[in-house]
Amino acid sequence: MTVPIGPTGSDDADLLSFATPYALHALSDADIVEIDRRLRDAPPDVVEAFLSEMRTVRETMAVIATATVVEPPARLRAELLGQISADPVHLIRPDQSRERRWSRVVLAAAAAVAIGLGALGVGLTLRPREPAPSTAEQVFAAPDVRTVSGEIPGGGVATVVFSRERDSGVLVMNNVPPPQPGTVYQMWLVGADGPQSAGTMDAKAVAPSTTAVIPDLGSSRALAFTVEPPGGSTKPSGPAFAELPLV
Amino acid sequence: MTTLAPVARLPLVTAELDALLRQVARRDVDAFAAFYDQTRSRVFGLVTRVLRDPGYSEETTQDVYLQVWRSAESYDPSAGTPLAWLMTLAHRRAVDRVRSEQASTTRESRYGAANVEPPSDHVADLVIRSDEHRQVAQCLGSLTDTQRECIQLAYYDGLTYSQVSDRLSTNLATIKSRMRDAIRGLRRCLGVA
Repeated sequence: MTVPIGPTGSDDADLLSFATPYALHALSDADIVEIDRRLRDAPPDVVEAFLSEMRTVRETMAVIATATVVEPPARLRAELLGQISADPVHLIRPDQSRERRWSRVVLAAAAAVAIGLGALGVGLTLRPREPAPSTAEQVFAAPDVRTVSGEIPGGGVATVVFSRERDSGVLVMNNVPPPQPGTVYQMWLVGADGPQSAGTMDAKAVAPSTTAVIPDLGSSRALAFTVEPPGGSTKPSGPAFAELPLV
Repeated sequence: MTTLAPVARLPLVTAELDALLRQVARRDVDAFAAFYDQTRSRVFGLVTRVLRDPGYSEETTQDVYLQVWRSAESYDPSAGTPLAWLMTLAHRRAVDRVRSEQASTTRESRYGAANVEPPSDHVADLVIRSDEHRQVAQCLGSLTDTQRECIQLAYYDGLTYSQVSDRLSTNLATIKSRMRDAIRGLRRCLGVA
């Protein structure tokens, strides 16, 4: 057993001495791991004192930034506004805790929408359209029906209700921002042999709520989304902006 | 036109930026543009001060604001002001960039020359354009040379406190307390709560 060095509380004082370097980003990654570990084990008042000192350092340095102001080139603004408008959707964060709640909500929503499925093939151009209502009904009725759902930060929710037995899924997108003019969203079934197109959605198809049948899941492990030129691409032309694991 | 001291102005800035961030979280491009316009010179200035390379600084500034666009909803008012949130994010990215460049090349060859001169000169070399700048400059000037040197090396050069300790051949505990004393001095001088 190790004998503590110094009087009681010296560990806490030592830990607190790292609050300022931590807030100034003056710790190495290894230091941060170590300090985070010590904070997990520290008494609540020490943690509060640590966080309070970090807040003070950050507020102080935010004011100090007045000393170093430099006007950026004007084109940076235009580039940035271009970038953000080409960035309409963000990484889907699968949210396990919400899955159960969503499965009920979405099943109800998807079932309600299923009645009007005539309009739902809009923009689904890369695969032959299935007699959609029957596929959706079969998926919902399947004994192995599963739901995966992911929230798109600030940009809606995508949910897939699927059945391996029926080899099909129903995608529901709620309040997802439509693709920018001149682009479409393309969905890909990602399996061992790479992504296979599962269709595209244009702006008309996306807003404000979309349901699409995805047939032929095969051995795919995920449904990925990319932004593509109108009509879609044979292969994803960039990284997926969102991906739902089909497990 | 009356120029308010930084601390007097801060609540106004905070309320306005806070409102803009909420709109940005709802994908409001105009609010984003307004947020950018109100903060761009602080962000670009700090990033430039750390990176000292116009190309890297522009890229990093873009990354900072893309992160604002994507994560505005994660801003938590109870954890600090929007400006502190933004500047923390900007500083983190700038430091990460310095350290990754340092890992791929040798920082000494690129940045070493700049550190031959007394480090305090960098901080003293301030753009003083208004009372606000002047007050901040005065507060920086009120630090001791050794405190200012620590802030320069750690905050503006992106060194870790142990690298600062090596650079100055001064023990780790002393470096940490200099940093802490420097922040306390600035805070008192600026009247930051």
